[in-house]
Amino acid sequence: MPCSGIGKVHGLIAREATYLVTDELAPQEAETVCLALLVSGDEEARAKVREAECIAIDGCPKLCAAKNVEMAGGKVVKSIRVVDAFKDHRGAEPGTPTKLADDGWTIVREIAGDIADSMCGRCESEVNYDG
Amino acid sequence: MADGGVKVGIISCSGEEIPEGTISRMATRRVLELLRPGSTVTICLPLFLAGDGAERDFATKHPTITVDGCDKLCAKKGTEKHSGPVSAALVVSEILNGDCSGCARSARDRTEKDKEAVWLVSEEIAKAVDAILAESGGCVSEAGDDGAACACSKPIPGMEIQVDGKSVTIAGLALIFDHLAESGLAADESSGDRLLETVRIYHSIEPEEEDAYKAALISAYKTHRRV
Repeated sequence: MPCSGIGKVHGLIAREATYLVTDELAPQEAETVCLALLVSGDEEARAKVREAECIAIDGCPKLCAAKNVEMAGGKVVKSIRVVDAFKDHRGAEPGTPTKLADDGWTIVREIAGDIADSMCGRCESEVNYDG
Repeated sequence: MADGGVKVGIISCSGEEIPEGTISRMATRRVLELLRPGSTVTICLPLFLAGDGAERDFATKHPTITVDGCDKLCAKKGTEKHSGPVSAALVVSEILNGDCSGCARSARDRTEKDKEAVWLVSEEIAKAVDAILAESGGCVSEAGDDGAACACSKPIPGMEIQVDGKSVTIAGLALIFDHLAESGLAADESSGDRLLETVRIYHSIEPEEEDAYKAALISAYKTHRRV
């Protein structure tokens, strides 16, 4: 569950890391839900997150994804902050909220790889990841 | 623009599950950065629940447009539930007449069709912004000095051109040139009408200035394309 952040590049990184996991690294084991559905109070979306183990990817310390999942009754088994990933990339130029640059894609791959690895540990499923 | 007014708020659903959610996000960004910088602001929708409470004033401080990907209308419902009534509610799937096949969720898979969809939707948002501004007498402020806005609408840099001996800065002109180049516009004298027609969507050009702008834009476009 990415944070839907629209104001900073961190939100786009969270979004793209999610797609890398759900579309390529672990398409059978992972899916995403519109965070806006939870905000609007959609019962189907709330039930979905309650039934799953959720990984929240938040762009900033406000932790919108993690908090909204928990408010919906979901269990956040892993909470990732994109800002923390930047600590290993001082001086990086990740791009903009609209378009990622090479450094931004590097961070996307690292976060997605971290998620895929942790999913491997949780479900013992084979996840193909060469990043 | 007069001081003392408010900026128009745009709230995108940014729905992660469907391509229309990505289009809503990209189109909103395009309006903030290129089409109506200085008169629009945004906020992350989930902040209504996860924030410290100040964010909930957003729709009461700003006449707000919601941009939803689908007919579930999450942005509209979420905004009305947690912040206040909206001034306009747009739906990407309706604007595109349901034709989003071939559009992508991820930027990695983006094609020309995605770009066209973003252009279409962003122009509809810009029209809605203009309608709200017209109703309020165009009274908007340059300062984003209220606590609800999250400084998301930092304008993109402009490009300076010489029009009839005068320096004129046009916001996002480099991006406009890039888009036109990608769509195959030749960098020669034949490009004048298309350049003028496109740039005047974003920058006011009086009828008597058309010839001077056309010449200036052709020259700048050639330079940009290094012809």
